[in-house]
Amino acid sequence: MERHTVAGVSATVNSERSDVDAMTEQQRIQQQLHVFQSSLPKVNELAYQLLFNEIIPLSMAVEKKLLNKTNLQDDQKVAKQDDDKATKDFEKLHINASLDAPSHKMCQEISESDQTKQERVFERVRNIGFQIGNKITELLVFSNNPNLRFKDMDLLAIMKFICRDVWKQLFGKQIDNLKTNHRGTFYLFDYDYRPIQSFSLESGSAEKELALVKPFLELPIGIIMGVLSSLGYSGEEVQCMATFVNRPDDRPKSTFHKGISFHVQVNSQ
Amino acid sequence: MAIYSFWIFDRHCNCIFDREWTLSSNSSSGTVNSKQNEETAKLLYGMVFSLRSMTQKVSSGPLKNEIKSIATGKYRIHVYCTASGLQFVLITDFKQQSYTEVLQYIYSHIYVKYVAHNLFSAYDFADNKNETRGQGFRKIANRNFVQSLESFLSPMIVQ
Repeated sequence: MERHTVAGVSATVNSERSDVDAMTEQQRIQQQLHVFQSSLPKVNELAYQLLFNEIIPLSMAVEKKLLNKTNLQDDQKVAKQDDDKATKDFEKLHINASLDAPSHKMCQEISESDQTKQERVFERVRNIGFQIGNKITELLVFSNNPNLRFKDMDLLAIMKFICRDVWKQLFGKQIDNLKTNHRGTFYLFDYDYRPIQSFSLESGSAEKELALVKPFLELPIGIIMGVLSSLGYSGEEVQCMATFVNRPDDRPKSTFHKGISFHVQVNSQ
Repeated sequence: MAIYSFWIFDRHCNCIFDREWTLSSNSSSGTVNSKQNEETAKLLYGMVFSLRSMTQKVSSGPLKNEIKSIATGKYRIHVYCTASGLQFVLITDFKQQSYTEVLQYIYSHIYVKYVAHNLFSAYDFADNKNETRGQGFRKIANRNFVQSLESFLSPMIVQ
């Protein structure tokens, strides 16, 4: 609020001092906005996108490492009595740690692994998304719009906040469509979900492609849940899932042939 | 007919993509990633490789000399090499002098977007040691890449 009054006062002073016309005033404001925007911290968009997508292969790699570790420990317990433990620990320290499998193999492995393992990977991805969502609320509310007060706002306003500000910040675009029944059910449609746009396999393997894309949808699910939890809707009362939907015919052709629908269900008392 | 064929070679001397047009009247004619082109690909790679090393030896000055095009009696070969060892090769007729921008566009807007950014496709097409040094067989078969390359190059087939 303070900023507004200061700007208003300076504007009246300016117009009294000299008859500056509206155009130059407009230009001055625009210039200020420009200076403000160029003073904001920036990162390379490409690096951000790559890191964002790399979360999924990373989760799989972590899952695999953990599995190996527990197996190794079991083996060690068996072989403990006849082996000197110190030399074994020493052998484990090697300088050239072997590299993980490349990302495309990790993605393939997720889609081929069994249900429980897949669910564990998804859980890990969702948790990462949850943390991102939790923190991005703070960032967006306090750096972009300090006047937003969520206390007297309803769920719809929070959903709009996700559709506009959160999506804009993370993916550079807004959600395309938001539907609700005003009783806690929301459908968020994103017809060109950015991170998966350049993903494709050879032609004629659409089914496999969708199976491979699945883990990439767990991250935005986690983000939505994180934002909701930081604004007071958390735990059991929120459910969120993602499904593929057909893109409407009137939209320009995009490289990924399906749109994404996020179904959010909030059961508040 | 202005362009005859298009090839991509990776840093392991493997041909990872080839596209040949046979009929100038029909932009969808010809072959994509054909087994029959394997020998031609090897010959083409050899020709570009040896002429490239020759040009690099026969040069003066601090800047590295890169080969741009090779002209024969019947066609012209345009080459674009990247720092990561990829070679984009386009075989055309004599109507147009330089296809550098075209090859640059294919690299930066089609290859990078649909192959390098695609987490489902390999970024190194030699899976293990046995597939390096020209022994590889893996090709770019990715739907988006083939489609957008096709739509980008098809206006140039008849020019």
